This record gives sequence, structure tokens and C-alpha cells, in this order.
Amino acid sequence: MKKVLSILLTVIMILALVTGCGSQPTTQSQQPSEQPSPSKDAESPSAPAEKTKLTFAVQADSTDALNQLIAAFNDSSELYTVETVVMTNDSGNMHDQLLNSLSSKSGEYDVISMDVVWAGEFAAAGYLQPIDELLAAKGWKVTDFNAGSMASGKYKGKNYVLPYFPDLGFLFYRSDIVSSEDAQKLESGNYTWADLLAMAEKYKGQGGTKYGHVYQSGQYEGLVCNLNEFTANWTDVKGGLEVMNQFTKSDVTPKDILVYTEGETHNAFLNGESVFARNWPYMNGMAASGEYTVKGNQVGFAPLPGGGTVGGWILGINANAKNKAGAEEFLAFIAGPEGQKINATVGSYLPGFNALLTDADVLAKNALLTNQGFSNALAKTIARPVVANYSEISDQIQIKAHEYLSGNGQLDSAADTISGLLK
Amino acid sequence: MKNISKIVESKTAYILILPAVVFILLFSIIPIGESLRYAFFDFQLNDQAKSGLYINANYNIALYDETAFYIRSFLDMEEEVVTKDETKLQIDAIRNMLDEYDQYMLNNISSPDMASVVSVNNEKLAYVTKIRDNIMSSLEKLYSFDEPFVCEEDMFAVASELDTAIISSNFSGLNNFKSVLTDTRVHSTVGFTLIFTFISVFFELCFGMALALIMNKALKGRGIIRTVSLIPWAIPTAVAALIWSYLYNGSSGIISHLFAWLKIIPEPTELLLSSTGSLWAIILADVWKTTPYMALLLLAGLQTIPHSLYESSSLDGATKLQQFGSVTLPLLKPSIFVALLFRTLDAFRVFDLIYVLTGGGPGGTTESVSIYAYKVMFAQTRFGYGSAVVLVMALTVGLITFAYIKLLNVKLIND
Repeated sequence: MKKVLSILLTVIMILALVTGCGSQPTTQSQQPSEQPSPSKDAESPSAPAEKTKLTFAVQADSTDALNQLIAAFNDSSELYTVETVVMTNDSGNMHDQLLNSLSSKSGEYDVISMDVVWAGEFAAAGYLQPIDELLAAKGWKVTDFNAGSMASGKYKGKNYVLPYFPDLGFLFYRSDIVSSEDAQKLESGNYTWADLLAMAEKYKGQGGTKYGHVYQSGQYEGLVCNLNEFTANWTDVKGGLEVMNQFTKSDVTPKDILVYTEGETHNAFLNGESVFARNWPYMNGMAASGEYTVKGNQVGFAPLPGGGTVGGWILGINANAKNKAGAEEFLAFIAGPEGQKINATVGSYLPGFNALLTDADVLAKNALLTNQGFSNALAKTIARPVVANYSEISDQIQIKAHEYLSGNGQLDSAADTISGLLK
Repeated sequence: MKNISKIVESKTAYILILPAVVFILLFSIIPIGESLRYAFFDFQLNDQAKSGLYINANYNIALYDETAFYIRSFLDMEEEVVTKDETKLQIDAIRNMLDEYDQYMLNNISSPDMASVVSVNNEKLAYVTKIRDNIMSSLEKLYSFDEPFVCEEDMFAVASELDTAIISSNFSGLNNFKSVLTDTRVHSTVGFTLIFTFISVFFELCFGMALALIMNKALKGRGIIRTVSLIPWAIPTAVAALIWSYLYNGSSGIISHLFAWLKIIPEPTELLLSSTGSLWAIILADVWKTTPYMALLLLAGLQTIPHSLYESSSLDGATKLQQFGSVTLPLLKPSIFVALLFRTLDAFRVFDLIYVLTGGGPGGTTESVSIYAYKVMFAQTRFGYGSAVVLVMALTVGLITFAYIKLLNVKLIND
């Protein structure tokens, strides 16, 4: 028995060796077919036989925009070809994964996409290449791009990022329930949180709704975004916390509003359970799809009283990138007018390149941009703090705010701690 | 020849344990040693001056180059808007200064392999510090002129990087351990973890014992009972925690509504949104999940008790309860000890259940030490401090083990 086993093992090992060695010649034989055809060679004899490969670390795109973007770049570029490395869709995990690679000074990613709140940390750690030279070379100004996104990527006087797609929080309301007079007031942005609370109480129960207002108040990053809005960009921390507590305790919000994330919010609003909701633009896409109780034509948009938190994704260059010139070319392509137009028309993302906000093709694909209430919201964006230890600060803000809102802590202690953290 | 074979024979044992020693070195001793080393440094990734273990002073020459480039381009921008001659003279003076310093860097600091961080001696350290001070003071002089400057704020922000470029030693000795001991968050997480550990292990022991006694009886369908009771333990913790979070959910969870109906809790939302509610919610989920494991360990012990002891004790007229107290418990003591030790150490390191169920909420009241250590190390990248937290945690686990050995008076290794 043992003998049979040992013979079997030997045979397997020999086989493994043979196939292991054999695989090399096959890959070599494949390579020539990838080389450009002779006719192309004749056209550009000086061009290198192989384009340099660049890598782009990015989350999967549920639309076709990313694929088309990469294809357009690969077609137009003489020197480079880009490959995407699809990262996990869990932002927290993606952050840790990127950090792991960047902290080991690895050049495995040339261009990286980041959540807006990571730039301060990555820039402070020296992982990103400043892009001011690139802006100057392209003749672009900082003001050509989405202001909130650029502000999230400015650290110690240097710009480190360009917008991939901006995102912002704003108010959704049921236009079939709210009176046109109130709707006008909301869209203009000239109202207070107290006005919103009063309206939520007034309309709650109408049109089959159960709640007046829903937003994100679970202990996670979404709470920081919402608190940023309630406190008008941290100008009135104590007042903002108090108003948020009024909403929590009132009966216009669900009893378990303190576990609400984006998922619970869009479920409540799109299933017709709530009159108002604070969420990101993606919820409009869901309403417009017609798959939910609430349809696109029943939804109106308005700025929030304290301004809308900027979210979304930004792009930067790895300071240890193997090919910085190529990375710059690719970055300029996706963040510039060509790439942003593909992103806005194919993927219906908000363009980060401001000139496209009035582009006819883009407007045709982004009904939101032609809406007055949304345009007002877009003009009133606020950023979260840009600091090196953002996740530490955010974590403590979440804990302190949630402790107070859940009745486990005091207002003064929460307000003092949060104000102290932001200094 | 004989000698050689003798040596080989006498050393055979060592040769045979060599692979195990190498294995332990590679996967246990070296990582622990490395972690210990981190704990003695103020090592954090989100600060260029601290993102390494620096015993000697270093200089980040790449950052100097970048900063000099930015200062020059800001100077160009200012030159276009200023009007007075003395301002222009000052701008030129700063430019000349930078040229001189560039030359100094090239001659004295740059290393042949173009490394971005270079170690510097005291004399060079004094010089780069002087460079920082000179540039700062001449910039201050420049901006004291009354001119329509355009990038004053950015200029000073950029120039502050000259300070970041100077990397002094971040060896901090025992400071990390000191701050761990005074960190209120460590106190609250250790407190929570201890409460969680003792309550849940206590219930697991009680229920586990009952379950083990049932499984040990020769009942009909014993195989099925053993299999079924092990199911909770076989489900991956993250999945089980997710299911429990649906059951506890304040608006649609069955358990939360049941408890509210039974008046155990005032509101269905109480289970996940109050600190005591979520503590008990976590304990319940943990007891449900690990009781079978406890029962399995105890069952193994029960089966080693010879049946003859029960026979002789019943001949002496002992009741079932007396048998349990005088025969089962004393003979089961080593098994109970092992089971308690395993479960306590395991419960003290609890991570996945809480991470999925409450994420440490509400307001950080259910944060375990592991979750805090994870946040410090991976989300906030403070490796030095995180290592110290983990080492203190390891020490606490050691203390608990020691206490068990003393309390239960069990010999861990029989001589």
C-alpha cells in the first residue's frame, strides 16, 4: 500500500514539474501575437513594441462608465495601457487594503481612487504625489473642478487630488404630498431645521406615510456627514446636536432612527413610508427606475439648512508609482473634460469638471442638474475636516454623538469633546 | 566513525524537534518580538516624521525638494502682484537662499542611492534646523510688507513641511504603555470585556454542563441530540451575528418585540440602542453560540469517569445529587478547568460577534479591547500605540489564566 502511495506521489510530482516548466514556452509563444501588426509598425517605426502598463485601483462600477473610460483611454494613448484593479466595495476594507500597499512603498497601483475623507491622511503620510505641476502643465485652475472635492484633497497648501465623481447630501421630499408653497420654501434653502421638523410633523401620515423625516444616524461615518449638516459645518456643535436630538426624540422619525444607514433610509422613503429623507443622489436613480412604490415624478429636491456634506470619490497618484508620467496622463484624462463626460453621460455621475455642468449631453443624462432645488443644493456644499488623523477623529465624533443621542451621555460633554477634536 | 554515530544518536532528539522550533520561531516568537519593538516607538503611518522606527535623527530630503519647488512657484506668483522694490529684493533674497540650501543638500545630505529619507549626524541636523528657521523668518519678513499678496496662507502651510522633513528619533520608551494605562477608552473597553467574559462564560458553564449531562445519558436518539446541539457552534460567527442583528432589530426583529411584549424591555429598540440592552443582547448571542462547545469539552471529561464509581456509590446508598457532588464534579475538575480557560481566553478576545452585531455601539459602550485595538492599528494606523494595547491585553489574559490556576488549584502539566 505504502509503495503504491509513494509511486503515485512521485508521478504527481514529476507531472507537476513537467507542466510547470512547460507553461513557460506557451506564454512566450503567445506573446508575439499581442505585438502590433506589421502594417502598424510601418506607420510608426519609432513607437515601442509594447505599451507601458498602468494600474488603476478602483471600486467596481455598477454602470458601464468605467469600462468605457478605460477603453477610450487605451484607444487614444500611444504610450500607455491601463488595467483596473477592482477593489472591495466595502470602503473601510478598501482603505485598509490601500494603506497596506501604500505603506510598504509599493508601486503596484499607479493611480488610486479614494473616498474624499482619506486624502488628508494619505497626503500627510507622503503616499500621494501633489498635482499642482500637472494642473499648471494642462493649463487648468483649481476652480475648474468641483470645489468640495478639491477642498477635501488640499493638505498643507498643496493639492493632491482631482475629482472622480462628487457626491453630496441633500433633502428629498414627496412632491405629491408637500404643498407647492412649502416646496418653494424648501427649494430656495431659506428654512431652518425647526421649519423642517414642523413640516415633517404637519405632513406625517398623509399619503400613507408613517414617518416625517429619515436620515443616517447609526454609529458610523454617515452620522458624521449628517452631524456636519446639522451643525452647519461645525459652526454650532451644541445647537446642532440639540436639534438632532429633537428629531430623534420626536415621533416624526422612526423609533430606531439611531441605527439608520443609507439602506434603511432609501427603503423607508422609496416604499412610501416617509415624507422627507436626507440621502445622496443615488436614491434619485432608484426612484427614477420605477421599481419602487415612490416613482421619480413624486420626488422633489432641496438643499439642507446647514449645507450638504460632500462625498464621492477623488483620484490621486501614488508617490511611489512606477510610471509617474503615465499616471499623470491617465489622471488628466479621467478627471479632465473627456473622461468626466463619459462618466457623466454613461454612468449618470455628477461631473467633477465644472464646465460640463452646462454641457447639453451631460444635462440630457442628468435630470438632477436641470432641477432648481438640486442646483441650489450643489451651490451649498460643505466638506468634512481634512486632517491626517481623520478616522480617529471621526470615530470619536461618532461615539460621542451617538452616546448623547441614545440617551447614554450628556449634551455638554458631547459638544465640548467634538468641538475640542475639531480644533 | 563510532564517535560520529554516537553524536548523531545523542543529538537525534534535537534534530527531530528542529522543524517545530523553526516553525515556532517564524510564526510566534518573531511576530511577538516585532510587535514588542513597535510598542516602544511612537510609530504611526499618518505622519511622515513618525512612519518608521527611527532611533537616530533623519532628514526627508525628497520632502525638502518638493517644498523648495513649491516655495519657488509661490514666490513667482507673488512677484507678479507686488509693487515695491524692497519686496522684490526680499523675494530674490529668498530665492538665493534656496539655491544655497539646494547646493548644501546636494553636497552633504543626498545619498548616492537617491533614498528619500537619509540619516543625519548632529552637525547636519543643526544645519537643516537652521535652514528651516531661516526660511521661516525670511518668509515672515516678506509677508510683513504691505502688498496685495495672493498665497500667504498656502505659503506658510507649505513651508511648515520643512519641519516635517526633520525626523527626530521617535523612540518613546515606555510612554506608549503609560498612555495605555491612563487611556479612559482602554479602561472602559477592558471593563466591558471583563463583564462580558465573566457573565457569558458563567452561563455557558451552567448550560454547557446541563447539555453535557443530557448528551452523556444513553437516551434514544442520542446521536441526533448531539448533532443538533452542535449546530449553533458550527455556524460562522459573522453569519450568526448578522442573523441575531435582524432578530434584535428595533422595528422588525422578532426577539426585540417578544421581549418588549413580555415587558423585559420597555421598547423594542432598547436591545441595540441602550448600553445594558446591547450588553445582554451580545451575551445572549454568545451563550447561544458557544454553549455547545463548552458541552463538548465537558462531555469528553464525563466519558473518562469510570462507570464502576457510580455503581459502587449507589451500592453505598448515595442519591443522584450526592453522586454528582462527590463523584462527577471532583473527577470532572480538570475538564472544567480546561473548558473554563479556553472559553475565558476566547471570550476575552471577542471581536467578530460584537463587530457585526453592534459595531461597538451605542456610543462605544459595547466596545471590546480587540475592537479598540483593531481601530487603533488598522483604521487609525497608530501601530506603536496599538501594539502596546495588544500587549497589555495579552498580559491581562495571562493574569486571568494565573488566577484560574490558583483558584481552582489545578496542575496544568502533570509531572
